[in-house]
Amino acid sequence: MMEWDRFSADAHRYLDGEPFEELSGAELAAADRLAAEARDYAARLATVDAALDEAVMAAVRDRATAERRRGLGWLLAPRTVRLRPVWVPVLAAAAGLVLWLAPRGREVEVAAAPARAIADTVFVRFELAAPQARTVSVAGSFNGWQVGALTMVKDARGVWSATAPLPVGEHRYEFVIDGTRWVPDPTAHAEVDDGFGGLNSVIVVGPKGLVRS
Amino acid sequence: MQSSDGTIVRRVLAGDAEQYRILVERYRAEFGRYAVASVGDLDAAQDAMQEAFIRAFDALATCRDPDRFGAWFFRILTNQCRNVLARRRDTVPLDDVDPPGGGRADEGLERGELGAALEAALARLTPEQREAFVMKHVDGRSYDEMAELLGVGVDALKMRVHRARDALRTMMGALR
Repeated sequence: MMEWDRFSADAHRYLDGEPFEELSGAELAAADRLAAEARDYAARLATVDAALDEAVMAAVRDRATAERRRGLGWLLAPRTVRLRPVWVPVLAAAAGLVLWLAPRGREVEVAAAPARAIADTVFVRFELAAPQARTVSVAGSFNGWQVGALTMVKDARGVWSATAPLPVGEHRYEFVIDGTRWVPDPTAHAEVDDGFGGLNSVIVVGPKGLVRS
Repeated sequence: MQSSDGTIVRRVLAGDAEQYRILVERYRAEFGRYAVASVGDLDAAQDAMQEAFIRAFDALATCRDPDRFGAWFFRILTNQCRNVLARRRDTVPLDDVDPPGGGRADEGLERGELGAALEAALARLTPEQREAFVMKHVDGRSYDEMAELLGVGVDALKMRVHRARDALRTMMGALR
């Protein structure tokens, strides 16, 4: 058991540079000695030089490059993101959108289109709680994995949301926070390997607006 | 006029990763001495600092107050230094570490030797005591600065420093 040899409260105040009452000569010497040894030790300390900066930046560049490749990879091969979109099938709106987009010269064909549009397109609502984020967007196989192609809007609770018409079929996506940070859907039920060490969420849009994720 | 931490963090998050170098240079200079004194040798300090900077970069989007990047980074660095000390303590029992000078260092040791004695004695402090003593007596920071960086109250930090001094005085009998 080590016996502690404490400095007095006044000695601590002295070492802290605060007013003190009285110190014996021996304790004053001990306090001065400790402070001097600390200064001596500090003077002999090796310094971390600028070589560290380059080592860190090399790692940072690798990460930035990997992030860009990851984005390109998404263009070439679907990958998984952890997002759980809230699906809001608005079939009438989808039909209206198709009609509005249809060329006027094809009215006869358009007349038959609504049924197909209703069956083939579903409006899907994506949500992510990220109160600290400055921007959030959805990047996925349905928009070429382009950051910012589908921007989200934040409500008073810090929940970001966006709605997009998606064709029937399987889609993969991820949230992009502040333009650089790719975040999977924390509530997604299905995930697949993105081939880059991460995961993409999977969502399936059915012909009647049913969605599986 | 140098850019604020917040401005740089926002540029990095916007995609200009090279801007991160400014933060690395700034806080390598600011906290390098702390890292070396905290873990006790240069190589381990460099490893801890490098890992801390990379972790900070990876988690930059979670830095809630970019204008206070320095304090946020310091806590990451502190954790890295503690990890180094914990791994070292796992492999080298403290009881196997003899106080330098064989105990009573006032029996013939010169100044330089006592500096080495302090270095070895620091290794026997708790991580909290060691970082507090280093910040106070090696970095020369005020208690207010320490509180800002560590997120710990001034009274608690004074207690850590005082206990560190008492322990060092005991371990380095020369200080009687």
